[in-house]
Amino acid sequence: MPKLYTFIKYFCVILWSCFVIAPFLWAISTSFKDFNSVTGGATYIPWLQFEPTLDGWSVLFKPGSQGGINIIGPYFNSIFVTFTASLISIALGTLSAYALSRYTFKAGFVQNNDITFFFISQRIMPPVVLAIPFFLFLSTLGLLDSLAGLILVYIVLLMPIAVWIMVDFFNRVPKEIDETALIDGCNPFQAFFKVVLPNSIPGMIVAGLFCIIFGWIDFFFAFILTFTNVQLLPVKIVALNSSITPWWSLSAAALVSVAPLIVVAFVVERFLSKGNLSGALK
Amino acid sequence: MNFKHKFVFLLPGLIVLIGILIFPIIFTVRLSLSGWNSFNPELDFVGIKNYIRLFTDDPRFWESFFRLSFLAVTTVFLQYIIGFALAHMVWKDIKFKRFFRVLFLIPMMTTPVIMTVIWRTFFHESLGPLNDFLSIFGVQPQWLSSPGLAKISIIIVEVWQWTSFMFLLMLAGLLSLPKEPFLAAAIDGASPFKKFMYVTFPLMAPISIGAIIIRLIEASKIMDTVFVLTSGGPGTATETSSFYIFIKGLREFQMGYAATMSFTYLIIMIISLTIIAKVLTKVLMKE
Amino acid sequence: MSLNLGNIVFKPKEQYHLNDISLNFEPGKMYTILGRTLSGKTTLLKTIAGLLSPDSGNIQFEGKDFLAIPVWQRNVAMVYQQFINYPHLNVKQNIEFPLKQRKIDPQLIEKEVSDAIQKVGLKGFEERKIQELSGGQQQRVALARSLAKKAKILLLDEPLVNLDYKLREGLREEFKKLFIGSEASQSIFIYASTDPLEAMQLNGDIIVIDEGKILQTGSAKEVFENPANAKVAEITNDPAMNLNKGKIENNKLILNNDIQFNLPSDLQSMPSGDYLVGVRATDLYLDDQGFDFQVDISEISGSETFLHLHNQDVKCIATIEGVKSYEVDEHVKINLDLSKIYLFKESGELHYSPYQN
Repeated sequence: MPKLYTFIKYFCVILWSCFVIAPFLWAISTSFKDFNSVTGGATYIPWLQFEPTLDGWSVLFKPGSQGGINIIGPYFNSIFVTFTASLISIALGTLSAYALSRYTFKAGFVQNNDITFFFISQRIMPPVVLAIPFFLFLSTLGLLDSLAGLILVYIVLLMPIAVWIMVDFFNRVPKEIDETALIDGCNPFQAFFKVVLPNSIPGMIVAGLFCIIFGWIDFFFAFILTFTNVQLLPVKIVALNSSITPWWSLSAAALVSVAPLIVVAFVVERFLSKGNLSGALK
Repeated sequence: MNFKHKFVFLLPGLIVLIGILIFPIIFTVRLSLSGWNSFNPELDFVGIKNYIRLFTDDPRFWESFFRLSFLAVTTVFLQYIIGFALAHMVWKDIKFKRFFRVLFLIPMMTTPVIMTVIWRTFFHESLGPLNDFLSIFGVQPQWLSSPGLAKISIIIVEVWQWTSFMFLLMLAGLLSLPKEPFLAAAIDGASPFKKFMYVTFPLMAPISIGAIIIRLIEASKIMDTVFVLTSGGPGTATETSSFYIFIKGLREFQMGYAATMSFTYLIIMIISLTIIAKVLTKVLMKE
Repeated sequence: MSLNLGNIVFKPKEQYHLNDISLNFEPGKMYTILGRTLSGKTTLLKTIAGLLSPDSGNIQFEGKDFLAIPVWQRNVAMVYQQFINYPHLNVKQNIEFPLKQRKIDPQLIEKEVSDAIQKVGLKGFEERKIQELSGGQQQRVALARSLAKKAKILLLDEPLVNLDYKLREGLREEFKKLFIGSEASQSIFIYASTDPLEAMQLNGDIIVIDEGKILQTGSAKEVFENPANAKVAEITNDPAMNLNKGKIENNKLILNNDIQFNLPSDLQSMPSGDYLVGVRATDLYLDDQGFDFQVDISEISGSETFLHLHNQDVKCIATIEGVKSYEVDEHVKINLDLSKIYLFKESGELHYSPYQN
């Protein structure tokens, strides 16, 4: 019996692995094609079935004026917006999470759990609901099509994640450590910054990873709220999806844009194996 | 412990959140009570006319809602089963454990829209590799142009993308389980199947619930995939609520009505997700 | 300078955790707060520390209103049951922490820290990380940190309860030695415990607390020999003192049909009537001439055996020397030391104790 189970296990794992890799392989192959190779029917292996070219790739780095698709600009925009929004979300979110974990709040019938729920429920908001109002909101503030405006919006998306993860995390740091810090002469702020925070680094890294992931992959808000000045990566790539879709450059651009997060995958896996993630995610 | 300092901790985040949110929410509600559309781009007041229209004269909205529920539940269900199974398989006793774990994590790290763009080429009916492969069997399914298959295409893409997230949560959960129950089971000579049914699964119950709820919340917002892969089509076959609202609001510019739909949708989602969360907790905790 | 608590009430969610507590602590003395789990000991300590605010009442320390001073400005120190140290700091940094916080001169800090490390026997461990230490060592670090602070009030909440038996004995002795140091420095030393044996060994003033109320205060000897009421008698003995209803009639003490005996000389002057008769488990012994009892449970603990016995409605526990095994329902003959009988009024108050003069 065990042998059969092992066989099934490997079979399933390998099967799923193929499923995971499939689109990547296809994209890699496609990125080296040109117009004819694509329209003649599906082709896979370079040199055997088609002539590979570097068109798809080179066009990424040429500026628009020479018929290229500049993705370097959007790349950096995405990085900047994601990181800034994540940092602010984690900072504010961790503070609020600490308060929710350690203190009791009561305003009428609203209690701690309700406030936490309020934070987390922001994730339920479909982007659509917020898109139009945010559009008008940002235009009133003159922040449409700007990095700052987008960051503002992303904070709403990411802070709930930070709060959700950190509240859970703080609940598992013994209160007595806070108390001892207070007894040792720290006021509540010092207790937090000198004692609790240094011991919360794993939790904050997890929160950070999730914020970065969910920030990086956003499409909708960037799509609605930016046009020409500021362009983010996902938007840029979808924009390529026009009537005559250049599959090759599309694939190349796509591959380049998902590459960074693959690094994140390694980081996350390392965290998992070290057991830090497990604790924080429960 | 209760010190006045607690407010300084809580309020910055809360105020920023409410501050950025409050205008949109109030505005949406106000907008929903107006008749703003492309002919009449003004914030007039028409009372609850939009709401009445929504509840009596717009089957398309409710169909889209039904479709959304179907897609969300199906994908989350599949993601849970596959994600849990995968996590269990790479949990221990397997070669290249770390390689597989990293590999399985990759999909969720990718930008959904971008991958969907690639999937679009993948599913292409005449030039895509999928149909090329299937032509060996003599079938050329119309992945993106037939209503039923379009739904399945969406499900496939969603499953590819987000099973990875379930996988992460489940694996983290499995890795955090205490060793003792398993040692006890080994001593009692339990078969792998029994071990799973009576030890692993019950211990994972709270984590399962959390993961399912989180995924349901995210899945109910399905937008990117629909937008790129099928644009809601063919016809309205894959039109989810989000997409319908998007069309009404940002394509047809019936902002007032779109706001009505948005607000209603939001309330329904909050209520149903809260109920689902409570029910799931009761059901899975009992076992 | 003394610490005074007046009418402290702490009543979260309609349940009394502290019910009208008034206490006086003199500097340079050791106090043991003895009570069962959930009797309010920890709440009391936390209130003194300032982590909890009472709903009503007042606390004065050194003549000042203590309640107006927040935790971090009160000069107290606390050691918890769970070994609480700062995980991200090593041993030396842990002990330095409160001193650095108060911006004390670095040279002075060095001296105080090495003094404290010396006192708790952790010399050489300065650079170790907390996680590398054993339970006993971690608790010693916590203790050292409290000592280095030179706090005026030192609070210990069952600090030894999570350590093994041998370690507990050893550290308890060290505590007493350390206390003598604090005696010189005029600190107030407050130690909470559930274990009457521990309270006796520490030999300070005992404060017996139950359900948020103070039942009795006095020296260890006083509280042990003359418990103010039946509840105190239960709390200050382990196993709890045996209490059974009894009657004094016709110069006899009658518990039930089987168990009756002539009043010993000291009790001859007691008025007839109903009483609660108390006798310690250690004052019962096996005796062929004794009363017949049936064994309910036989527990072995260390080098003693605790026999849970009954004779009709009279129940008691007897401590027998040595490790013996008894079957359930086995019959044994038990006698008691008549000179060690306590009499409590039906309401629980002490009526007669063998030690009162």
